[in-house]
Amino acid sequence: MKPILLLQRLLHLIPVLFGVTVIVFLMMSLTPGDPAEIMLANQNASPEAVVSLRHDMGLDRTLSARFVSFATNAMVGDFGVSLFHRRPVAAVIAERLPATIELSIAALLLALLVAIPLGVVAAVHRGGVVDRLATVGALFGVSLPGFWFGILLLIGFAVQLRWLPVSGAIDFASQPPHVTGFLIIDSVISLRLDSLANTLAHLLLPAVTLGLPMAAILMRVTRASMLDVLRQDYIVFAEAKGLTRRRILALHALKNALLPTVTVAAIETGSLLGGNMVVETVFGWPGLGRLVVESIFVRNYPLVQAAVLLYAVTYVLVNFLADLLYTVLNPRVRM
Amino acid sequence: MRLKRLVIAAFAAAGLQLAEAQPAELRIGFTLDPLTLDPANHRSRETESVLRTMYNGLVAHDPAMKLVPEVIEGWSWIDPQTMDVKVRQGVTFHSGEPMTADDVVYTFTRILTDGAIGGQTSPRKSLLGPTKSVLRVDAATVRFLLSDPWPVLPAMLTFQEVVSKSFAEKAGAAGMATQENGTGPFKLVQWRRGDSLVLERFPAYFGGAPAIAEAGKACIDRVVIKIIPENASRVAALLAGDVDIVNELPAHDIRSVEANRNTKVMAVNGTRTFFVALNNTRKPFDDVRVRRAANHALNRQLIIDKLLNGRAERLNGVMSPAAFGFNPSLTEYTYDVKTAKALLTEAGYANGIDVTLDADGPQKETAEAIAALLTQAGIRTKVAVGEGSQVRAKWAPTSKREGDMWITSWGNGSLDPTDIFEPTLQTDGRGNSAFYSNTELDGLLAAGRRETDTAKRAALYQQAQAIVNRDAPWIFLWLPQDLYGVSARLTGWAPAASGWLNLRDACVQ
Repeated sequence: MKPILLLQRLLHLIPVLFGVTVIVFLMMSLTPGDPAEIMLANQNASPEAVVSLRHDMGLDRTLSARFVSFATNAMVGDFGVSLFHRRPVAAVIAERLPATIELSIAALLLALLVAIPLGVVAAVHRGGVVDRLATVGALFGVSLPGFWFGILLLIGFAVQLRWLPVSGAIDFASQPPHVTGFLIIDSVISLRLDSLANTLAHLLLPAVTLGLPMAAILMRVTRASMLDVLRQDYIVFAEAKGLTRRRILALHALKNALLPTVTVAAIETGSLLGGNMVVETVFGWPGLGRLVVESIFVRNYPLVQAAVLLYAVTYVLVNFLADLLYTVLNPRVRM
Repeated sequence: MRLKRLVIAAFAAAGLQLAEAQPAELRIGFTLDPLTLDPANHRSRETESVLRTMYNGLVAHDPAMKLVPEVIEGWSWIDPQTMDVKVRQGVTFHSGEPMTADDVVYTFTRILTDGAIGGQTSPRKSLLGPTKSVLRVDAATVRFLLSDPWPVLPAMLTFQEVVSKSFAEKAGAAGMATQENGTGPFKLVQWRRGDSLVLERFPAYFGGAPAIAEAGKACIDRVVIKIIPENASRVAALLAGDVDIVNELPAHDIRSVEANRNTKVMAVNGTRTFFVALNNTRKPFDDVRVRRAANHALNRQLIIDKLLNGRAERLNGVMSPAAFGFNPSLTEYTYDVKTAKALLTEAGYANGIDVTLDADGPQKETAEAIAALLTQAGIRTKVAVGEGSQVRAKWAPTSKREGDMWITSWGNGSLDPTDIFEPTLQTDGRGNSAFYSNTELDGLLAAGRRETDTAKRAALYQQAQAIVNRDAPWIFLWLPQDLYGVSARLTGWAPAASGWLNLRDACVQ
């Protein structure tokens, strides 16, 4: 792909992000509830106290003035001060971001590792035992609410069997020295096997809960597209040439069948970001999703705005990456 | 053979040593991460609970919620607008410096001065009411100057924690938000945001409020506060033995915690009064007989037993039994449908009345139960569930006052009557959602606000409670208990109405 086209695609990001900024800002502002009143609750909050806190939070300015200062500051990476943490939003988010990235990637990998082989096997042995089990399993996967499924896993593996920890990302005694903030990377860098094992044990249940619906959808997509590809002429031709079944599947069929899987995986990343909020809450995972949920409840405008913007950028970039991957998987696709 | 024995002996010795080296660790499953570690820059009860394990205030509570001096020897009123406190000697910050009168003055000046926290103003300023300034009189005395008489000051001082002047100046607003230097029984080892706080016993701890029995150092070596926001997961952590204490135990989990051999439920009366505000300015609740009828029509104990698992105390007035000046001899509105119907008939509503009960989402279930019981007594009640802030706006004293009834609550963290009486029942009080107005009561409340003699002040509020009980501006409901789940290996710990964790005397076996 030509660099100029790449740049063009990246420039498309700007209107998208602007639109997201406007919508999020308006939605948060139109939601009933005043952060100052929520913060003071009814602990002795006189109207004067509310007024002075609103001033301190910068909420006494007009909506348009607030939007302009938010948008201009956001362009240089300044998202303002979190109304409740009373610290810069960027710092508060940065503390929670590594945990969310780790969990999301783990869930994504888990989903791909389960979905693609299962989808292929189910398509190749259509109507067989694996196909039927996988189809029923996928139905469960998409229909089980993450919230309920997470708690079910928790009760089973953490409370009853006690194989895995209930919550958190790592135990105090196992913590590796802080280098990147990513526990897996830090454990590897410091050659701490115990930290790595402890991190993975904490990661397993949340990653399964988060990855399951995605795995189910990807499995179905891979299966359908594999079935479709296997009916194509060039597969028949390859078989006629006398190529081995294994070679046909791996080289000719799978590569083409993966195109829709990549698209859906990219789109599903959005639901992964949403799912984070639920899963992080259930498993006490110290990530961004939970922070956003808590912030929405208390109308922490600056933090929610920055986080949604971050989600939007991630989503657009992931889809952009998927487009790039297309050109690798299928050279006929040009950008 | 000998070798085998040697090996076994060596392993046993190593195991023994390991057992000895193992610190006594208490783990807590807690709902929310602290917003900040700066005691002056938040308004969150959970943040305060966590901070109080590391910081101390001038005033604390004993287990019966009576006010006791903590890092001061005591307080005395010079006149109704001037109060002196004697600073305790021998109190040290975690950094090793001694706490002085200057630190106390700095702490309060930082809260009272606009923009003193890196340009931000402390959201706790309003908790100091009419406090104008705080001055050092001598090395052991600090003076509070008020712009108005305010006898509730000692109770409100429980909400502020003393910081070190030199540390705060050095750390700045950003440093204070993420570092800790208190005088409390535990000091911070590590704060993994959103995940956990690890605290360690502070060996030079001064021992705490002497008025609380067995003052001394903490029993446990280490505390791990794990943040687990989801109720089901927090309870699961307790049942799995992962944590020793969980806060906010949901009522529906009481049975599973009690059924587990290694866990039990502990409860303490909260500080939040629940009630149904009746619109005193509009028919039919402008008639005291109808309001009393509504109080008799409700079987409160039934709702407490069925919906709150018995974990609440019936109220016949405004205040918690633990509050200052509580009147224990208020008339009980017994559940009596006959009396209720007779009162309605007397008021001219022989055929009953049709009314609407407003509620927000979390109160829906309770509101429906109340409506069903009222309806049986001829007060035919419909429930209207709305979004919290909209319902609140509908019932603000500044509104058009168009509703019939609203199920709501009011927190009284200081357990001082001023804090709940004035906003909710004084004429045009900012939380007077019953739109109740009684000049006699207003007079008593105004007098109570100025009276520094505690016995006289208590008498004024007892009289005020009797008036409210008689006029029944609300359907009096209950005071829910705060529920905790604890492991059987925990001793020496009890939950506090303030929500503070009070870990000094907690031990684990």
